[in-house]
Amino acid sequence: MKTVESEIAAILSGSISAITQRSIFRRLGGIASLPVQRLSPRDRQAVQAEIESSIRLFAPARSGELISSCARVLGDEPSGRDAAAAPPGPELDRARKLPIEGERDIAAARLEAWSEAVRLGLSKFASVKVATAVSELARNIVFYAGKGSIDLRTVRDGKGTRLEIVAADEGPGIDPAKVEAIFAGSFKSERGLGKGLVAVQKLVDDFHLDTRPGRGTRVSCVFKHDRSGQ
Amino acid sequence: MQGQQQVPIIKIRNCLLVSVQTELHDRLALDLQETLIARVRSEGTRGVILDVSTVEVIDSYITRILNDIGKSVRLLGADCYMVGIRPAVAMTLIEMGVELDSVSTALNLDAALARLDLRA
Repeated sequence: MKTVESEIAAILSGSISAITQRSIFRRLGGIASLPVQRLSPRDRQAVQAEIESSIRLFAPARSGELISSCARVLGDEPSGRDAAAAPPGPELDRARKLPIEGERDIAAARLEAWSEAVRLGLSKFASVKVATAVSELARNIVFYAGKGSIDLRTVRDGKGTRLEIVAADEGPGIDPAKVEAIFAGSFKSERGLGKGLVAVQKLVDDFHLDTRPGRGTRVSCVFKHDRSGQ
Repeated sequence: MQGQQQVPIIKIRNCLLVSVQTELHDRLALDLQETLIARVRSEGTRGVILDVSTVEVIDSYITRILNDIGKSVRLLGADCYMVGIRPAVAMTLIEMGVELDSVSTALNLDAALARLDLRA
């Protein structure tokens, strides 16, 4: 059976590592295991957009060739031709929620944040900053709360283009005195909670921490395109 | 499956080269540290070189792991070099204000080996 995964993997092998490919297919969720001809035009478009941004990210040197090969494979069915031919252009004002439940979700969240940053048009450096910040936030959730979620939202409005990140959990929360110590630089935890939060605060343009013992933790931050993109 | 995972360690001259590629989760990091210490001790290794050229993101947790490895290797009298750090990663580390001060750095593998040789 020719599934989306097997077809695309055949094109990408040799250009993108197997590990990275797995993360790409994971991002597609159930769609990856569908036979190509059963994709709805909308699925097709989603797959195409996803694969395209991953190719640009991981195999920039051969991106043109790989993207058109993938488009050919995905767009061979007459029903999907229009969707596949549509220009993928960056989608704005889109939001996605990433569940964070274990160590493997940290890497997935990082990758997701990175591609979102690239899609938004952030520079290479800014995209690494975004991925690093999300990595810190995801780690804190896994280490201290066990599980939670990270919301990524790309926004373009009168105030400019930006990426909003919200990491939320219902874990033990952080004591106010400890929060103060963390940002004063005098607190050091076993596994680096303090350092992680301070690092995130330094990387982002806007940082807000909302936490109370027993009530969970919520970190909201913003990357602005204008500043980070330089 | 996670239990089988290992970070590859290659012996080059009198040094151990570690190619840091996979996601260093807790267990893997501890395993790596233990294996390195044991091998430095049993093989009289002069230096350990951590190659991070394929690592796209280094956060404060990975920094701590690398620092811990550096410290333990140094305690045994060997040198620990980190090579191949990507420019965007280096800039991000500076901006975050985290220090990678328990490992020496060199531009690439060649440079690290040359410095370790000079010390002989």
